[in-house]
Amino acid sequence: MSPPQAAVRAESLSKRFGSVLAVDDLSFALAPGTITGFLGPNGAGKTTTLRMLLGLTAPSKGRALVFDRPYAEVTRPALRIGAVLEATDFHPGRSGRDHLRTLSRSVGLSDIHADEALRRVELEQAAKRRVKGYSLGMRQRLGLAAALLGDPELLILDEPANGLDPEGVRWLRDFLRDFATQGRTVLVSSHVLAEVAQTVDQVLIINRGRLVAESRLAELTARVSGSVRVRTPETDRLRAALEREEIQTSSTNEHALLAHGTSSERVGQIAFAAGVPLYELVAESSSLEDVFLELTAQEQP
Amino acid sequence: MIDQIRAELLKIRSTRTTLGLVVGMIGLIVLFALLSGLLTKAPNLATSEDQRGILDVGSTAGLFSALAGVMLITSEYRHGTIKPTFLFDPRRSRVLAAKAIAGLLAGIALGLVGVALGFGIGALALHTRGIPFALTGAQTALLIGGALAAVALWGVIGVAVGAIVRSQVGTIIGLLAWGLIIDNLLFAFVPSVGRYSPNRAENALEGLTAAHLLPAAAGGAVLLAWAAALTIAGILATARRDVT
Repeated sequence: MSPPQAAVRAESLSKRFGSVLAVDDLSFALAPGTITGFLGPNGAGKTTTLRMLLGLTAPSKGRALVFDRPYAEVTRPALRIGAVLEATDFHPGRSGRDHLRTLSRSVGLSDIHADEALRRVELEQAAKRRVKGYSLGMRQRLGLAAALLGDPELLILDEPANGLDPEGVRWLRDFLRDFATQGRTVLVSSHVLAEVAQTVDQVLIINRGRLVAESRLAELTARVSGSVRVRTPETDRLRAALEREEIQTSSTNEHALLAHGTSSERVGQIAFAAGVPLYELVAESSSLEDVFLELTAQEQP
Repeated sequence: MIDQIRAELLKIRSTRTTLGLVVGMIGLIVLFALLSGLLTKAPNLATSEDQRGILDVGSTAGLFSALAGVMLITSEYRHGTIKPTFLFDPRRSRVLAAKAIAGLLAGIALGLVGVALGFGIGALALHTRGIPFALTGAQTALLIGGALAAVALWGVIGVAVGAIVRSQVGTIIGLLAWGLIIDNLLFAFVPSVGRYSPNRAENALEGLTAAHLLPAAAGGAVLLAWAAALTIAGILATARRDVT
């Protein structure tokens, strides 16, 4: 029995460069129609994984599949998969339009597709200028235009927000949302969770080549629901009252408690009901970014 | 495959590198042809072998053809465009074959211009100086046809060596070191081996008859074998290595 079709699948994927294991036994599958953030600190193995998925780098072990095949075995892959790896992959002396024309021509598409892709990324004005004069944001868009030439159903983007100004980041977010609402699939890598947190449905977090978390964004956000710090002269009574409500506590010192996974409103009500005086009540919600940092914290060897 | 070749030809046309190569080639050939055609003393232009020296200046186009071929592949690695190129067609051997054919076509174009200029200026110089043309019709045909074929094959060799070496500067330095130094030393000291080099095979193909050179047909076959063998090596090297 074969597993259900995945847009992207890694099976025990590993890549060794000399003595460095850049990607270490990575397995995941992305369902069609999802937007996935592929997260990890710089050097975690994100780019290497994407290169293996795109057939540019050969795995040392395992398999990297798109639409259940190695990239090179997908029929006319440019018409199903669009990818942007680096915003610098252009000949500086060639115009943006000519860059797209060389690519569209190689798969038998007409120049109309190049012009249409330029329009979609709002680069028509600069179409005939040489890439040398493009800003980083314009290069990111040109890369995206190349990825869109074949009207793909899967987009794979490596750090697309790098070097973009806030306006560019917002543009990209809107663009990806629009792309995904058409039922298409996106895999977008980043080393900054905040860049993709408002865009993605689920996250894959890797560190040192290994998968450390795979979850829906909502689950990750739930982990964030923080703790409440309470200062009271009667810590024992408050602890007992909270534990009756199945709220975990830990004490920081003899006059303070931390209540986990709850809100300040609830702790206040429980204290009131139990007749415990409170001197201080502070919600200490850790941010999504904190969870990310905690998951990807480098273990000291 | 036709689509791939059209894409490669557009790559050649869409940067100024090609224009630079063409201008450089025309300038160099015109300069050499005028200097050698006008400054060589008449008694040194009596035999057909002497006259070949000035009529064959156009084969200098082979250097530019090789450079055009080198650019066709190494500029893709240098600027990273090899990634989108392979994403659009992951069958790398086909991409390389299309590049080799585009290199051949570019070589033919450069060869037509370069050989016509070199031969034309040389012949005009002989004519205006009243020196009788010493080459037979067959020798002339061999000179022109051989030079054209060689210039075209250098385009293929440029692509192949570029695919093996990848580094643009490395490839160009390597080819120049080979053509200007190593090949000459090899032919001077071990002519029995040196005559099989691409450069000496080209000389033979153009009908030159210096000592130790192969017969013209054998020269052509050896140059073709070099182009084919290097292309296969380039395809194998490209298929195996990671693209980063």
